Amino acid sequence: MGGGDNVPGLQFGGIPEELAATAEKLTASEPDWSGVHVPFHHPMPSTKRFSLRQLLGAHKPALALSLLLVVAEAAAKQAGPLLTKVGIDRGIARGSMHTLLVIVVIYLITVVLAAVISGLRVSWTGIVGQRLLNDLRVRVFAHLQRLSLDYFTDEKAGRIMTRMTSDIESLNQLLQDGLVNLLVQGLTMIFVTVVLLTLDVKLGLITIFFVFPTMGALTFWYRNRSDTGYDEVRSEIANVLADLSENLAGIRVVTATGRERRNIWQHRSIVKRYRDANLYTAQLNAVYGPGSQLIGGVGQALIVLIGGYFVLHHQLSIGTLTAFVLYLGNFFAPIQQLVQLYGTYQQGQAAVRKLSDLFATVPSVQEAPDATDLPPIRGEIELRGVDFAYSPGVPVLEDISLLIPAGETIALVGPTGAGKSTIAKLVTRFYDPTAGEVLIDGRDLRGVTLESLRRQLGVVPQEPFLFAGSLRDNLAFAKPEASDDEVLAAIDAVGLDDLVSRLPDGLDTYIHERGTSLSAGERQLVALGRAFLAQPRVVVLDEATSNLDLRSERRIEVALDRLVQGRTAVLIAHRLSTAMRADRVAVIDEGRLIELGTHDELVRSEGRYRDMFRTWESSWSSAAS
Amino acid sequence: MAITTETATAEVTASPLDLTRRPRIHPDASRSWLRRCLPVVMPHKKAFLGAFSSTLVGIVLQMLIPTALMAGIDGAIVTHKHPLMPYILIIVGLAVGQGVVTYFSRYLLFRAAYDLEFDLRTMMFEHLTRLSQSFYDRVQTGQLISRANSDIRAVQMFLAFAPNISVRFVGFGVAFVIMLTINVPLTFIAIGTLPLVYITGARMRFLMFPISWVVQARTAEVATIVDENVNGARVIKSFAAEQRQVDSLAKAAKRLQWASEKQINIRARYAPIIENLPSAGLGLVLLVGGYFVIHHEMLLGRIVGFDLYVLMLQAPFQLFGMLTMLSQRAAASAGRIFEILDEEPHVTEHPDAVTLADSQGDVVVDGAHFGYNGGATVLDGLSLHLRPGETVALVGRTGSGKTTLSRLLTRAYDVDSGVIRLDGHDVRDLTLASVRNTVGVVTDDPFLFSVSLHDNIAYGRPDASYDEVVAAATAAGAHDFIMALPEGYDTVVGERGYTLSGGQRQRIAIARTLVSNPPVLILDDATSSIDVQVELEIHHALRTLMQGRTTLVIAHRPSTIGLADRVAYMEGGRIVAEGRHTDLLETEPRYAATLAAAQAEDDRNAAARAVAVTGR
Repeated sequence: MGGGDNVPGLQFGGIPEELAATAEKLTASEPDWSGVHVPFHHPMPSTKRFSLRQLLGAHKPALALSLLLVVAEAAAKQAGPLLTKVGIDRGIARGSMHTLLVIVVIYLITVVLAAVISGLRVSWTGIVGQRLLNDLRVRVFAHLQRLSLDYFTDEKAGRIMTRMTSDIESLNQLLQDGLVNLLVQGLTMIFVTVVLLTLDVKLGLITIFFVFPTMGALTFWYRNRSDTGYDEVRSEIANVLADLSENLAGIRVVTATGRERRNIWQHRSIVKRYRDANLYTAQLNAVYGPGSQLIGGVGQALIVLIGGYFVLHHQLSIGTLTAFVLYLGNFFAPIQQLVQLYGTYQQGQAAVRKLSDLFATVPSVQEAPDATDLPPIRGEIELRGVDFAYSPGVPVLEDISLLIPAGETIALVGPTGAGKSTIAKLVTRFYDPTAGEVLIDGRDLRGVTLESLRRQLGVVPQEPFLFAGSLRDNLAFAKPEASDDEVLAAIDAVGLDDLVSRLPDGLDTYIHERGTSLSAGERQLVALGRAFLAQPRVVVLDEATSNLDLRSERRIEVALDRLVQGRTAVLIAHRLSTAMRADRVAVIDEGRLIELGTHDELVRSEGRYRDMFRTWESSWSSAAS
Repeated sequence: MAITTETATAEVTASPLDLTRRPRIHPDASRSWLRRCLPVVMPHKKAFLGAFSSTLVGIVLQMLIPTALMAGIDGAIVTHKHPLMPYILIIVGLAVGQGVVTYFSRYLLFRAAYDLEFDLRTMMFEHLTRLSQSFYDRVQTGQLISRANSDIRAVQMFLAFAPNISVRFVGFGVAFVIMLTINVPLTFIAIGTLPLVYITGARMRFLMFPISWVVQARTAEVATIVDENVNGARVIKSFAAEQRQVDSLAKAAKRLQWASEKQINIRARYAPIIENLPSAGLGLVLLVGGYFVIHHEMLLGRIVGFDLYVLMLQAPFQLFGMLTMLSQRAAASAGRIFEILDEEPHVTEHPDAVTLADSQGDVVVDGAHFGYNGGATVLDGLSLHLRPGETVALVGRTGSGKTTLSRLLTRAYDVDSGVIRLDGHDVRDLTLASVRNTVGVVTDDPFLFSVSLHDNIAYGRPDASYDEVVAAATAAGAHDFIMALPEGYDTVVGERGYTLSGGQRQRIAIARTLVSNPPVLILDDATSSIDVQVELEIHHALRTLMQGRTTLVIAHRPSTIGLADRVAYMEGGRIVAEGRHTDLLETEPRYAATLAAAQAEDDRNAAARAVAVTGR
């Protein structure tokens, strides 16, 4: 299971030891899934709106079989009391042991049948459901991959996660238990009603009129209250955990300010509210459970009273009376479950709506239907009269024209929000310009496939991101098939050798995003190494703003110089020292290109760059003095 | 129903929960986990006994219903010996009695269970609050929360419900005896299937439990991939790795699908047997009971009664199976909880510790040695004397032990050897509260709580007046930006509130310490994330603040060092040079070098800001 996090101190997580052996045995027969491949295409496969019907519609024959099994199961399960009646009336009452034996044999056969059909039903509907969910998971994920960067920046990560986790889980509930149970319980209720009415109309009607209203009312009462009750419990436990986690996170302050006593007191009152919320639901349960038992008991008494009267007046056989007593209980489960299932159904529907909205979201950057592959490029980048706005009416870039010859390193400088990063995002086609065009080697980016373009670019984002996996996997992210020599060359180029020798398993050391084994500087070097290994023609780098120690800074500077050598490079510079090393500097302000030239040229001219340089220089010299 | 609810609600509000109770587990770690829990359970003895006894009564009443029913059928309907009505009244009476008693038994049981959970949770919280900093250095908060939540839940479930499930054995016994008095062979036939229900259930759980863990782990795998793809979307798109990501998810999803199907198949194999076995029992009761009826050894109504018993008893048999599962889980959880509860705070208060009141602010560190958790030496015989009212700047490279010293001064840790004295008292002889009231610290990365700014500033002295809070905020240079916020001092900040910048948080933290008015103040790199500009603005305030108290400033900016009367330069865990800033610059080359390096770093940040700011 995944990578073992070796956290010192307390061990927690993973499968408990005592279960691991069985789990291993159970999964021993699992096939190797390493060859699983699902073709991914940028264009959206269908424009039809996603719905529950559409989801189920694709599996009609399988679902028809499920339905058949459900009906057979419900019928087989309700045969018992009926056969008991026949056995009593035809066998016992007439003193025929032979008839009784035959009927009991039939009885046992129906029991076995019920068990077998039930097993088949559980397994078949379950597997169909899982197949459906698997398709859906891959489909949702592929669609997420298709969506453009703006979706990921606009939408909160947590909410995107919900689509793939709790929404699909709600559908899982609906498919695994909800729909089938709805059918099973509905059918059971119909069967029992029909049987009771066939056996004896009068007693049947009395039973139904007693059970339905009382159980229905009690269940509805319970459901309404318990919904709010459990909501309360959930929100109170959230408060308890939030208070706990905040106190643990701020433990230093708590101790330093001597708040222990007060906070313990506060936590006690929060836990007390949680306990009170729990107690409310406890009351509901204490009423509901015994309440339905009470209805059952009174129902039995009622049936025996009225049924017994009928038997005494020879209007009813004693076997039928028995059947009524036994059937009575079979009404309870369906009523209880149907009301519960209503919630499952609603949640499932809500999930379907949210997934449907997700599938209806169109990527803002789309591959043209007639897009062609971009052949290997030299790396000349041109922005021609480019305008851009994230939202209409708020221009971010205005009329930017800039030609970057192949092999040149250009630094973009300017205040935060000037539009530097946006230019980089246009070059990598994370966005399309609202007017004008972006060209590489003279070809408009909108006419080429996304993959062929991005494969030739090496992007180093401001915040390096590490994927869970080995250091090698992280470096070879752009080129998983890279040989050891290639990986080592990249490590050498960015100067990560000492990290590799420091890590316990060298290149195979497991690292992950929230791992702390790598320093900020090393993480940036990994990002540079990743780009280096891709051997791109064009490098687009957003310089990190975070502060590093001097040594790390040096190492990154060296690595960066190696990376941009012989390539076209667009550097979004946050430090003038970086800008100074570029071939040319472009100063961006309020969405416009205001100055362009070499560092020396710009320092000599009377412009914004010179002002920035002066400020920087003076702060530097004041430090030296 | 409505009436019962109302009385119950009244009871809830009235139900006394003693907020001052301090439960403890048994300290002897060699005891079994259940015995260690006894001191926590015993205070709830009465509630649990009430719950068990009422459960018992309820179950006996429940078990009498089929008896009354079969007596009624046989006595009134089959044999016409007695009138039917009395039987009916008895059944209704039993049903009502059982309903009412069960209502109370459940309510009492749940209440006891939730009170127990309350005790366990607050006990855990209290213990966590008591533990020293060294504990938090080695554990992750996430782990603690899971222990304080799901593990407590598991223990509570077992402690509260296991005895109650056991009470149901009594119910089974009652039914068994009733059935035996009616017909011995039929009794064994009727309940003969129930052990099989138990065995099959046990077998199913034996397989289901591990596989559901696998399913959970694989669900988490899928979630992890999605999480990475959402957060790393930029990198994935940059390197056109979409296809690979889709394949890796498809693989994880297949693994999940496979495990889920495995789980479904286990359920499909065992669940129908468990569900249908009692029905087979009913069939056999019909056959054998029919034989006895035909041979006039038994009346027909007995068959109905036996059927009802079989149906009634199948649920407890499934519950019995749960008992082993609950106990396994609870034992494992209890182990994890005890691991925390058995942890002792490293920094403890002497039984006869004295309270230091109105400290002069005389701080002496004498030959302090220290290493975190007994590890590598951080302080190596450090000695330093801060005279009352004096401001000393502590300078040193990253990792030289400056912050460690500040932690020792507040007794977040204790020295391994050497001594730290406040006004001549060894800090270990003083009460923790008085040490911490005397020494106030502002750290470089201050933590704010999810409460209002006012409450954050008054955190250490919740009784501070509004004016005092405002005065502290003003002195810390925070008042102006606080007033610019839409809700001013009522703005809720922290994880679940408004996000302040690093410099703003810093100033709130300074204000927080000022409100407590400590005689000794430590500013641990507290102004480094404040812009030089802003720092200059609050320097005046800082200067006022340092007046009349002993201050240790950990800093590297010349401007900040300028606030100090003298400088202590630290290297390799000890003070290697002391003196005035200007003197040290000349006499101590390492001091100058350290300052220059720190300076360069600082100015690079300033330069980065210059690129961003000056352009405007």
